[in-house]
Amino acid sequence: MGKRLLGVVVVGLLFTFVGSGCSSSKKPGAGAGGGAGGVDETGLGSTGGSLDRTKKGLAPGDEGPLTDIHFGFDSYELDEPARTTLRDNGNWLKDHPKTKVEVEGHCDERGTVEFNLALGAKRAGAAKEYLVALGVAADRLTTISYGEELPLCHEHTEECWQKNRRAHFVVLGE
Amino acid sequence: MNRWWLFLGVVLGVVLAGAGSGHAQVRGTIFGPDSRSYPVAIAPLKSLSTGAAGADIGTRFADIIGRDLTVAGYFKVLDRAAYLEKPDASGYTADTINFESWSVIGALALVKGAYTVEGDNLTLEARLFDVYQRKLLTGRRYHGPVAEVRRMANKFADEIMKQFTGDRGPFDSRLAFVSTRDSRLSEIYVTSIDEGDLQQLTKGQTVTKAPSWSPDSRSLLYTSFKRHNPDLYSIDLLSGRETVISQRQGLNLGGKYSPDGSLIALTVEDNGNSDIVLVDRTGKLVRRLTDNWAIDVSSSWSPDGKQIAFCSNRSGGPQIYVMSSGGGEAKRLTFTGTNNTSPAWSPKGDRIAYVSRLDGGFNLFTVKVDGSDVQQLTQGAGDNEDPSWSPDGRYIVFSSSRTGRRKLFVTDAAGATQVQLTHGGGDDTSPAWSRWLE
Repeated sequence: MGKRLLGVVVVGLLFTFVGSGCSSSKKPGAGAGGGAGGVDETGLGSTGGSLDRTKKGLAPGDEGPLTDIHFGFDSYELDEPARTTLRDNGNWLKDHPKTKVEVEGHCDERGTVEFNLALGAKRAGAAKEYLVALGVAADRLTTISYGEELPLCHEHTEECWQKNRRAHFVVLGE
Repeated sequence: MNRWWLFLGVVLGVVLAGAGSGHAQVRGTIFGPDSRSYPVAIAPLKSLSTGAAGADIGTRFADIIGRDLTVAGYFKVLDRAAYLEKPDASGYTADTINFESWSVIGALALVKGAYTVEGDNLTLEARLFDVYQRKLLTGRRYHGPVAEVRRMANKFADEIMKQFTGDRGPFDSRLAFVSTRDSRLSEIYVTSIDEGDLQQLTKGQTVTKAPSWSPDSRSLLYTSFKRHNPDLYSIDLLSGRETVISQRQGLNLGGKYSPDGSLIALTVEDNGNSDIVLVDRTGKLVRRLTDNWAIDVSSSWSPDGKQIAFCSNRSGGPQIYVMSSGGGEAKRLTFTGTNNTSPAWSPKGDRIAYVSRLDGGFNLFTVKVDGSDVQQLTQGAGDNEDPSWSPDGRYIVFSSSRTGRRKLFVTDAAGATQVQLTHGGGDDTSPAWSRWLE
């Protein structure tokens, strides 16, 4: 079943490239126009969740239509930049009312595996809660924590850790 | 910390002095940071079989014991190249050993023995001698399949430890850990403490974390993302059969069997918030133990099963707490440092090991269960995390970045001897030391 889902995602990727010829405009509010034809192209724009991408040897974060938010060390507080990004992401979700999104919580490498998995769950939960407060239906949003397991950046520096402390939004389709 | 050294020294002194000879000279403490390690010679066992079957068994047995005693600290295993007496041309009883040839190379203790191979059956006799007393200290006979030579050696290493310290050693046991050595993601591996029979246990090709042993050392609990959720699994070591124990939405993390094996402490999640619950062996909820907005993870049972230590950030940063396994208020244990995690309750019951983040680095500490007498075990050698106690409560296995990639190390409970256990590529983390095999 997992494999079939992957297949769909890969096909979706092809459609995106063929259809729009370009993936650089996939930012919040700048999607492919909300299903003017029979197929909602943006709903298939995701290249898969971070775990599936890592299994395929790809970097965990894809350039989907929604933007990552970032956190402080050991924190799951949504700061002003994070809230601004979430409002943009929320607007995209309102423009694409049929899409479902998985919110991934990630951490930097410091701290224990277990604490970071719990912290990632807090981060994903906080992002979801904020989107729901903005009016996105809760049943369109699922969460998963990957803790420190799927870093975007592999150096042991604060700059790298900052990139890894994130909530990432994977568009699952309709 | 010094009391234990003294205790070891006294025990060894008694063992040596008990025989009442002027040859046994104990200078200062024999075991301890300021002492020379106790020199022991481990001769390859003599083969009593005709033919070449199992010709390497005698050497393998000696190698494994040598590795175990090196991990134990306290012993200096003398280089085999210096041995004057050849195993196949000499005896292995007190009246046939040339003890002069052992004392002249500095050995205070000597392991000798013999073995017979018949088909797949191995019969092995190992003996420990006091070189100065020219006297047998202990002997053991083992019988089993040839493949069990490793267990026989580990058992005899435990017996040697018992002779010198009064308490059985920890080597007839297994180690489970997480490694990235063979894959982009993590799998669980199992090995004997001498690292001689490393085996990859899971092949989920996904994120696999936090192994912990069943009390009978026959199965492991762990968390795997193989079904796109961090679910709790159990795997039987003998059959390799894997079963799902808990697949609640969100975290099913850090499963730990109660000492009697009837319950599992587990971190579960409710809309992003983690709490600790007790479930039965099939994953059915028995009791909710924590219920608040904070992160609650990393359960560790007291050896009597009455209490659970865990990590919570309910007061801000992560700290260690202790609560009754029957429920009720949790009591904070750690007050020094702003980031304390990974509690591990000693099988002796008296201390809890944990990890503290100080000045950006992570190091191992222990504290008495009443919160007093904090001791630091590691310092200035990379990050040191994931403590797990040996079954005898004298050692702690942990992961360290001191050599670059994370590898497993063993220290005694005072932090005096630190020996690298695992080698090879990738990161080795989250070690779990089993109880003794039975």
